[in-house]
Amino acid sequence: MGASKVVSASDAIANFVPDGAFLTVGGMHLHNNPMALIRETIRQGKRVKTLLTSPCGAMNADLLIGAGLVEEIITSYVGFEHLGLAPNFRRQAEQGGIRIFECDEPYITHGLYAGAGGLPFIPLPKGLEYSDIPKVNTRSYTFVDNPFTGERVLAGAPLMPEVAFIHAQISDAAGNAVLLGAQFLDRLMALASKHVILQVERIVPTSEISEHPMGTTIPAFLVDAVVEVRGGCHPTSSHAFYSYDEEHLREYLNKARDESGVEEYLTQYVHQTTENAYQQSMAERISALSFQEG
Amino acid sequence: MSVNQVGEYSVAELMVTVLASQLHDDEVAIMGTASAIPQAACRLAQLTHAPNFSYIAGGTCSVNPYQQPLVPSACDYRLLRAETAVPLSDVVLMEGRGDVFDIFFAGGIQIDAYGNCNLVAVGSWENPRPRGPGSVGLPFLSRVGRVLIYTMSHNPRTFVERVDFLSGPGFLDGPASWEQAKLMGGGPAMVVTPLCTMTFNPDTLRMKVATVHPGVTAEQVQEATGFQLEVEEPVATTPLPTHQQIEILRAMDPDGLLR
Repeated sequence: MGASKVVSASDAIANFVPDGAFLTVGGMHLHNNPMALIRETIRQGKRVKTLLTSPCGAMNADLLIGAGLVEEIITSYVGFEHLGLAPNFRRQAEQGGIRIFECDEPYITHGLYAGAGGLPFIPLPKGLEYSDIPKVNTRSYTFVDNPFTGERVLAGAPLMPEVAFIHAQISDAAGNAVLLGAQFLDRLMALASKHVILQVERIVPTSEISEHPMGTTIPAFLVDAVVEVRGGCHPTSSHAFYSYDEEHLREYLNKARDESGVEEYLTQYVHQTTENAYQQSMAERISALSFQEG
Repeated sequence: MSVNQVGEYSVAELMVTVLASQLHDDEVAIMGTASAIPQAACRLAQLTHAPNFSYIAGGTCSVNPYQQPLVPSACDYRLLRAETAVPLSDVVLMEGRGDVFDIFFAGGIQIDAYGNCNLVAVGSWENPRPRGPGSVGLPFLSRVGRVLIYTMSHNPRTFVERVDFLSGPGFLDGPASWEQAKLMGGGPAMVVTPLCTMTFNPDTLRMKVATVHPGVTAEQVQEATGFQLEVEEPVATTPLPTHQQIEILRAMDPDGLLR
């Protein structure tokens, strides 16, 4: 049984996120985005040299970009699905304000696998080279000769982030984490990253976790800090706990249409509020979004 | 979405029934972002003519979700009301293997005459207008049995002669390049829009009008398309949804995503 790693969001960010880090943020689309950790990163003004999303980033990437903290991004999608394009990602991409390493989902998956397993590079399935993506991203993709057949194959560089922000629904105090819904690529992200900061809805006794040991998504020895924030994914969803807040997301998308609106949003919901105050102000909304499983 | 005046169905419901008709028993389909239309088509096929058809829904990777209810987000928790679910990384492995999935539902901010799709950038990649969201798994169109393309936007900005950025391979630059590439996948099979269905001429590999939806003319389809479409006169009308199909769809869609 490991010692408690439970800390506040502000201590976790201050202690484990170096300025100019290679950061990866878990969750996918409008779900399981570790927003409490991201808001705290913005409050502390930590610059992110490289941001890696899951195959589909959303608020987790767009808010950091809107705060002007992201220098370059490795991604295969940043958007808000049926709600629309990601306003800050789009604006910075169109204005040349962010360096984009254009990727596809297979590379992000296999690249993380390579990073997790110490593979120097990873060959990719034939056919992927027919998209234009490898042409515009020669840092992530290159061609190698297959040593067995001599055939020219596309290959990807390993992805090894310094820090991963991962949201799990529950964990124990040491960080044995259970994702109660879909895992997306969060487990691979944790395996590939040097440090993992876990954001959870609820901390439970280790005995509760070990009742179903195969249900544990991430073992505690990979986790550096555990931050308990109920509602920490808001305005995105936390699988099994609450759905995404479409009204709030639309407010964000409307405001973020221009830079002054982004500033207004950040001032109101990030800079002028603590995470506790944010959660208190949103508690009623999050409660109304709770899954009422029978 | 307005309900068509001819019968009691919406355009989206018509698109769903057309897509469902392309799905066969024992096949397996995959789909991505914001995929309520293909998910409804898959579930409809299972509940009617293809009970042994299987499908994997978006990033949640639930297998055969019950669509109780149909939801707009492809990573929604409610998609786990399903037979089972698999890890996303396993789905990427099976996509790479290439002989597991028969159908991939695709789309794009641009779709071209050869069925190539673009989710990345209009204009140059360095200076896009607009910058699209990104390609996710679309490059795997090269390794899947057949591709079904759907879009709610049938206009000359979406349907272009050649995509500005190729992020989902169709028939590439046409017959010569397609033959040379020897891709594992069978390429695009059908395109379904709010105006019509289109297939591909087996010789030229270019998109052609297959059927027009009720009340739409082939001329209207051509006007809404940024390249020359082949049309065989007289052009057939898209088969209408049956009462049974509409009943099933309404039962799985209480929020009216398809209405």
